[in-house]
Amino acid sequence: MNDIMFFDAQCQIGVPMLGGDRGGRSAAELLAEMDRNGVDKALVAHGNTEAAGAVFANADLLELIQADDAAGRLTGVWTILPAQCGELPPPAELFARMAANRIGALNLFPVAHRWQACRLTVGRLLDAAAERRVPVILSPPVMDGAWRGVYDFLREFPAATVIVAKLGLWGSDRNIRPLLENFPGCYVELSEYWVPEGIADLARRYGADRLLYASGYPRFGHGSTMLSIRHSGLPLEQVRQIAGQNLERLLARAQLA
Amino acid sequence: MNRSVWEQPGSLAEAFWKNGAADIPIYDMHGHMGSHNAIFFARCEAPEMVAHMRRLGVRRLVFSHHYSLMGSFRNARVHEITARFPDILRMYVSINPHQPDFIAEDLAQYDRLAPLAIGFKFLPDYHKVKVTDPRYEAALNFASARRLPILVHTWGGSAFNGADVMLEAATRYPQATFFMGHSFSGDWDGAKRVAEACPNVYFELTSLPGQHTVIERLCADIGSHRLLFGTDMPWFDEYQHVGGVLSADISEDDKHNILYRNVEKLLGKDW
Repeated sequence: MNDIMFFDAQCQIGVPMLGGDRGGRSAAELLAEMDRNGVDKALVAHGNTEAAGAVFANADLLELIQADDAAGRLTGVWTILPAQCGELPPPAELFARMAANRIGALNLFPVAHRWQACRLTVGRLLDAAAERRVPVILSPPVMDGAWRGVYDFLREFPAATVIVAKLGLWGSDRNIRPLLENFPGCYVELSEYWVPEGIADLARRYGADRLLYASGYPRFGHGSTMLSIRHSGLPLEQVRQIAGQNLERLLARAQLA
Repeated sequence: MNRSVWEQPGSLAEAFWKNGAADIPIYDMHGHMGSHNAIFFARCEAPEMVAHMRRLGVRRLVFSHHYSLMGSFRNARVHEITARFPDILRMYVSINPHQPDFIAEDLAQYDRLAPLAIGFKFLPDYHKVKVTDPRYEAALNFASARRLPILVHTWGGSAFNGADVMLEAATRYPQATFFMGHSFSGDWDGAKRVAEACPNVYFELTSLPGQHTVIERLCADIGSHRLLFGTDMPWFDEYQHVGGVLSADISEDDKHNILYRNVEKLLGKDW
């Protein structure tokens, strides 16, 4: 949009194992929908990571982005695994590869990939990520115990920069407000936060800088949350922060190289 | 970059993007009120709900109260709340099939609840009673005799209010008008089947605007002339749901149909 830059904090591409007809099989499909809605940039993960695994998804995501995103509008998300099995390189090398390949954030699927999200498994990597301020995306649906898993993770890594994603369509304030109150590095994306006047309420209570526009594509479309942010009732300066500036700042400040 | 959906000259989307409202009424046919056991609602009472809806031009919200659906709050008290905002609020009489005495009381007093009450609300998945169960018969017969609308919570695959049971109910009561809340969420083939078999059925969209390609599919399979806008207010933000309709890849006519034209054809402009 001409007056507001939108940077999508949570969307996915890739071919799902179980099929699906909602789109997002390629970066080109995602970019076409972004254009149709007026979204400038996106932080994109692989949509089949749970089933296909981190090793395949991390590589495939790169291929998908590089195949269609000549303008560099997409930033990727890579999935982490426990350090002990050597499936991913050591932290410094991982961050260097991320920088070289326009990967800006990390995510994890401990239940699907059968490991424990804790200091014993990923402590070294996540301490380094926290120090370098690399964002880590946490989603209740993929954590052991759902919200309990998100809480445990943040207690274990309180200095991490965390984006809590996929909040669930049933109002999630009872779960996200304690996190925003207690962890200054915690941000939430709004693709499933559909609470009437809720965006303004959260911004006033915890700061507009803690909230991130996201579509949730391809499960969700881009436009609905754009309109709810645009008319959240917040000053235009804060609308612009939530729409795109906050995520841009989070990615820019990460010290990958 | 081509113009986005929000920048199409003269479109509803352009008007809502620029001004937060457009020169149309919006009829929200699926609302609630009051606190909820599992969700924090900061704005779940009439004054703040009305303030939110006025921002984008909602002309009517038809709601059923959480406390009547899930507690023992009587519909007469809901009527008192509705009457405080007669320019915007209308109510459904909540039917709990486990409380036959409440149902009898409400049918007896229906003429006092109308015209602010426009019909009934059934919540079968939550009450764990099939719509075809005899415990709903009194309300169904009443609605059928008076050709009143019934908003029924529906969901794909549900034994209480899925496509099969609602097909049976809508066929058995052809004089009643059924609003299928959530349009059998997830069971789009079932929705199409019910639409084809039952002309007395409309499909209400709560929780679907914003879900990628769903409204497009319902418009293609059923037709936008049978879709009704709703939000579950205070569950979902009006801007979010209106935004989901406006940004769907459907025609401008489809958007007008969903947001107000279909309701005005059904109920008129003065109700």
